[in-house]
Amino acid sequence: MSAAVATETHRHATPSTDYKLGFGHLLRGEWIKFWSVRSTTWTLSIFLIATVGLVVLISLAFVNVPSPEDGGPPAGTAGNPLDPLSIAVTLAQLALAVLGALTITSEYSTGMIRSSLTAVPKRLPMLWSKAIVLVVSVFAVSLVAVALAVALQWLFFDSKDFSIDVTDPEMIRPLVGTAVYLATIALFSFALGALLRHSAAALATVLGLLLVAPILFGSIPWKPLQLANPFLPGVAGQQFTQTTEQLEASASFSDVGVDLTAWQGYGVLVLWIVVVLGVAAVLLKKRDA
Amino acid sequence: MIEAHDLTKRYGTKTAVDGISFTVQPGRVTGFLGPNGAGKSTTMRMIMGLDRPTHGTVTVNGRPYAEHRSPLTQVGALLEAKAVHTGRTARNHLRAIAATHGIGDKRVNEVISMTGLDTVAKRRVGGFSLGMGQRLGIAAALVGDPQTLILDEPVNGLDPEGVLWVRNLVKYLAASEGRTVFLSSHLMSEMAVTADHLIVIGRGKIIADGPVDSVISDATRATVRVRSPQASDLAARLAGPAVTVTPAQDGLLEVHGATAVEIGEIAARSSIVLHELTPLQGSLEDAYMSLTSEAVEYHSAEIPGQPHAGSHVAAPAVTTGEDAR
Repeated sequence: MSAAVATETHRHATPSTDYKLGFGHLLRGEWIKFWSVRSTTWTLSIFLIATVGLVVLISLAFVNVPSPEDGGPPAGTAGNPLDPLSIAVTLAQLALAVLGALTITSEYSTGMIRSSLTAVPKRLPMLWSKAIVLVVSVFAVSLVAVALAVALQWLFFDSKDFSIDVTDPEMIRPLVGTAVYLATIALFSFALGALLRHSAAALATVLGLLLVAPILFGSIPWKPLQLANPFLPGVAGQQFTQTTEQLEASASFSDVGVDLTAWQGYGVLVLWIVVVLGVAAVLLKKRDA
Repeated sequence: MIEAHDLTKRYGTKTAVDGISFTVQPGRVTGFLGPNGAGKSTTMRMIMGLDRPTHGTVTVNGRPYAEHRSPLTQVGALLEAKAVHTGRTARNHLRAIAATHGIGDKRVNEVISMTGLDTVAKRRVGGFSLGMGQRLGIAAALVGDPQTLILDEPVNGLDPEGVLWVRNLVKYLAASEGRTVFLSSHLMSEMAVTADHLIVIGRGKIIADGPVDSVISDATRATVRVRSPQASDLAARLAGPAVTVTPAQDGLLEVHGATAVEIGEIAARSSIVLHELTPLQGSLEDAYMSLTSEAVEYHSAEIPGQPHAGSHVAAPAVTTGEDAR
């Protein structure tokens, strides 16, 4: 072993100038971290399989709905080919929420955060680079998931006239918007993780906000809750995954009186992130690691 | 070079580090010695910017650690062995840290073989033994080829071969390469063979700061315990430039700087009655105990049938449990 010490170069008390902490390097470091733990591959695989699988299964259910003559729902309420994707995304997004939170909370639970902050003592660049790697990766995987789901739906159900017309410019925003929404939800969960620094706490909060709160707020007949419902992060953000036509239709059904457009809804979700991540950033800078 | 000035850290009402000032010079190994809870780790965490000082400043090579453009080439630190994601392999852990500074895989492979991790580099860190984790921590500290190395209890959990390796490595980096090495331990014996300079800390305060030899000799000055009904008379006769006399209690003196023979002869010449004349021999461990006995945060309980845990004096006839100093 002592012989190995001598292999160290005889560099004397002058700092090596070729090594430098830079944002590009930082992104590279976070990229390695992100892809070198099993939870990343697991959550992304589960998300991918769940999204594509659910779209196919739900589409199958939709095309097999009996006609009005056979006792099915009245004409005109037939499902939109986008609906299976919306339902699938509502469920599959939970895998991405887990990934987003774990990206930062696992560093706290394992103690890795202290190694990370030793390498990046200014701290905030570490947070931003982690967020960028997460958002870019999740966006890419989500686009693949949406493309696969749309392709399989077309392959299996185009003959039954139940597929998304990707040549329709009206469809581009909802489809790309779905991938944007999913990447943003992962970032929202990441922000909660950065704030709470604890996996279980972050996951409970994000699942509560995405899954439980919309059901509670929507079903309790108390006006303030019903008014707040459209501003929940998941509910607001999912406006971005709908066509303008769908949004107008659901607005005409709703009697709450608060109807956000696609961009307004997405703006509300971004606002949630700005607030949560902002507080997390301030605390990261101030707290002892 | 590490310079701390009036460095203080309070957690609530508890003061972990209490206004300490010290300098760690390049070209030598500086040991940071103290009992558990003395403030060693907190001090090191403040150097690395992980904990914010409540008061005071600490700089590395002239500026706070966080202000450096290339922190990892300035300071490499091992603060706790398992500051590692347990699901990542050792090699990927090092690659990720190295990448933040644009350090390539070549250097990563270099530190892997330097620290003897070749065979386990592709294994997940979760299954590592304490010693392996320690080697990985040292590898992470070395990856930036830093000018200053800060190691908190580096030999903890290492096998004898590893202990020897760390010892030789830090000596080599300090003496041959002129780097700054700051090493903490609660083991005096380890410090005695590794460090050139010692900073002893207890209860958040610096107790001693000097070359290892002088810290040890200061703390292990041969002490003679003398009991006499004419204690004050004897004290006056013994007193001299090289001799310190500390009255411990009624009729009991502790004399530094004079041997039992000299004291006996002086007493005989002055016809002073002696009831006890006990030479107390110091050792390394004694030195450490005597330096820190007042400053130990966590006292062990007494073991029935054993001498008091704090009674360190290797005297033939110990009549009291009082510490020498």
